[in-house]
Amino acid sequence: MQVSEGMTIMEACRLAGIRVPSLCYLKDVSQHASCGVCVVEVKGARSLMRACITRVSEGMEILTHSPRAEEARKVNVELLLANHPQECLTCDRNGSCELQQLTFALGISEKRFVRTRLTPFVKDESSRSLVRDPEKCILCGRCVAVCNHLQQVRAIDFTGRGLKTKVSTFLDKGLGEVACTNCGQCALVCPTGAITEKSDVAAVRALLQQPGKVVLVQTAPAVRVGIGEAMGMPYGSLVTGQMVAGLRRLGFTKVFDTNFAADLTIVEEGNELLRRLQGGGILPMITSCSPGWIKFIEHFYPEQLAHLSTCKSPQQMFGAVAKTYYAEQTGLDPRDIVVVSVMPCTAKKYEARRPGMDGAFQYWKERLQLNGEEHFYDVDYALTTRELARMFRAAGIDFTHLPEEPFDNPLGESTGAAVIFGSSGGVMEAALRTAYELYTGKKPDSLDFRSVRGLQGIREADISLNGTTIRVAVANTLKNAALLLDQIKNGTSPYTFIEVMTCPGGCLGGGGQPIPTNAEIREMRAASIYFEDAHKSIRQSHENPEIIKLYNEFLKEPLGERSHHLLHTTYQPRV
Amino acid sequence: METQTGYSVTDPLLDGIIEKHKGEPGMLLTTLEEAQKMHPWKYLPGETLAAIARKLRIPPTTVYSVASFYSFFNLEPQGKHTIVVCRGTACHTRGSKALLDEIPSMLGISREENDAGSSFTTPDKRFTIRTVACFGQCAQSPVVEVDGVMHSNVNSRKLMSLLSSVLESETEKNEQR
Repeated sequence: MQVSEGMTIMEACRLAGIRVPSLCYLKDVSQHASCGVCVVEVKGARSLMRACITRVSEGMEILTHSPRAEEARKVNVELLLANHPQECLTCDRNGSCELQQLTFALGISEKRFVRTRLTPFVKDESSRSLVRDPEKCILCGRCVAVCNHLQQVRAIDFTGRGLKTKVSTFLDKGLGEVACTNCGQCALVCPTGAITEKSDVAAVRALLQQPGKVVLVQTAPAVRVGIGEAMGMPYGSLVTGQMVAGLRRLGFTKVFDTNFAADLTIVEEGNELLRRLQGGGILPMITSCSPGWIKFIEHFYPEQLAHLSTCKSPQQMFGAVAKTYYAEQTGLDPRDIVVVSVMPCTAKKYEARRPGMDGAFQYWKERLQLNGEEHFYDVDYALTTRELARMFRAAGIDFTHLPEEPFDNPLGESTGAAVIFGSSGGVMEAALRTAYELYTGKKPDSLDFRSVRGLQGIREADISLNGTTIRVAVANTLKNAALLLDQIKNGTSPYTFIEVMTCPGGCLGGGGQPIPTNAEIREMRAASIYFEDAHKSIRQSHENPEIIKLYNEFLKEPLGERSHHLLHTTYQPRV
Repeated sequence: METQTGYSVTDPLLDGIIEKHKGEPGMLLTTLEEAQKMHPWKYLPGETLAAIARKLRIPPTTVYSVASFYSFFNLEPQGKHTIVVCRGTACHTRGSKALLDEIPSMLGISREENDAGSSFTTPDKRFTIRTVACFGQCAQSPVVEVDGVMHSNVNSRKLMSLLSSVLESETEKNEQR
């Protein structure tokens, strides 16, 4: 066959329709060549070659599944299994573990080699978002690659040597004590259960059984294009209605939508942008919806915190509104309301416990004479898309056969502008749809700002607002965000408004999304998101009738007194 | 891993090292090496690693990754005298395990039962006993290094005399005081 020059054996085989297995190689992410699973026999070569790093050459004859290659592959996996715990049945990644699948595929039927590492590594549960279990690690290096190169956070690296080699942090501190952004990309690429989200499933299930609790659930935009995959449907399946039906069957009192709060975010943030534009405020203004990004700028660029929008993320705005406005509307005691969010994100778990994310408690403190012991957060628990899938399976919900059901009202009403929050460029486009109208007093010619769409790392566009042209930029992954921050630092940033999303492709590629997630899958999820937007009857946030009502009856005005207390926040420099 | 000692290589000293090697390739290794040498207990405390990371603008995790990889770098305080026994294959077949086991009684110290590590330092910081995987001196095995000097074809008798002179130098110094 003919392939282009410079291609690796692995890629060429893929084109030929043959899958060479690997545990460390991950397209576009990592080429560590450490696992030895992709070895193939090349005619004329003395030793077996690693398909992931060996380039093809003219006339090369490759045997991917010769007895010799298969035997070597098998032994390499067996050696990995020597020190790997045999806890598959109770492991978080049971069923989605690449090591488990490969062991089975290679026909390994016994544990042939004895354990060589006598002292077990200690589990790290210090982070609010992630759990690391180095015992399950096979040292493939994918997590190190994403943390160091994709995100430029560099919280983890290989430490020690020989049998004591492990992926760890500075001085082996807990992940919760170092400069980790909780983005969870490490968990997303881990082939085993060595890095997983810290599960809140048990806590949520207990609350669902507790009498007297009103358990509200909110779902982030990217979950509706991910959860179907986790339930066995094709990549990028748009399953909004089934997801709502499933959540109702799990016993949530009301099934609401984070998209409602996304519309609210746009109204607040659009007005904030306008105020900064017209009042000589600090520009460029940068979005603040992505909690991994927030922690990143707090750690690495603290001198630029004033560029961040003060708006809380939609998850947090939802919690604050649910426990104040919705409580008042329904006559519920805010102490009885539990807000659970389903997010494509691991960092949301951390965000929910940030200081200041208790706006509703502060609101009620005076009014209900609450004492400190009754303290509650705006959002009680944040589950990942993967955790929700686990809950569906545990409850025996036959997801693919669920009917489509609508969200509950009023906090389930949303526009097309809100659903695109799930994709990189979406917050920017949603903000432009509203800001354009606020600034010029008329509707934009087209609601589709296509120039900010796409999944490339950085995109920019010039937007004309009645003669005034502003330049905007959209970045995803923290490495790209850092490039834009360096421009600001050097005084060369040409932008007025910047959107930053922590994960590749935005939330649809979030650290809490189903495994696998890769570039092709992200494209399919993005297509579903823009499909939902295009088919919404209202596509501008400020036209959401329930948002209009919320302002009329409760918040009064964007950036007003109530908004200030409930919907906006502050940031802190971190070491 | 981090041991509080109350002593760390001071900032001006570190600045001096860094200034000297600025721009050299591999300056992280050089800096770590010199910082370790300057410490009275010949090791790199956590605060020193953090300071080096900050001054060289290298992520702290990278610095720790490098420092924990090379057996040359010590992350724990070292004794005044260091005895290194080679545990490579050649030395092993010629009895290096027995030599290693004899050292504590020859020095009159006890090595804790639960200590499974490749390095052991007496609580009074007089002695450190370490192993390495190979010195590359297999032809002259077994090999033992005492205070930086390598000794070949070591047997029990030779080891005893080596350690005796270490102990003698200790007493002499004490008498001089």
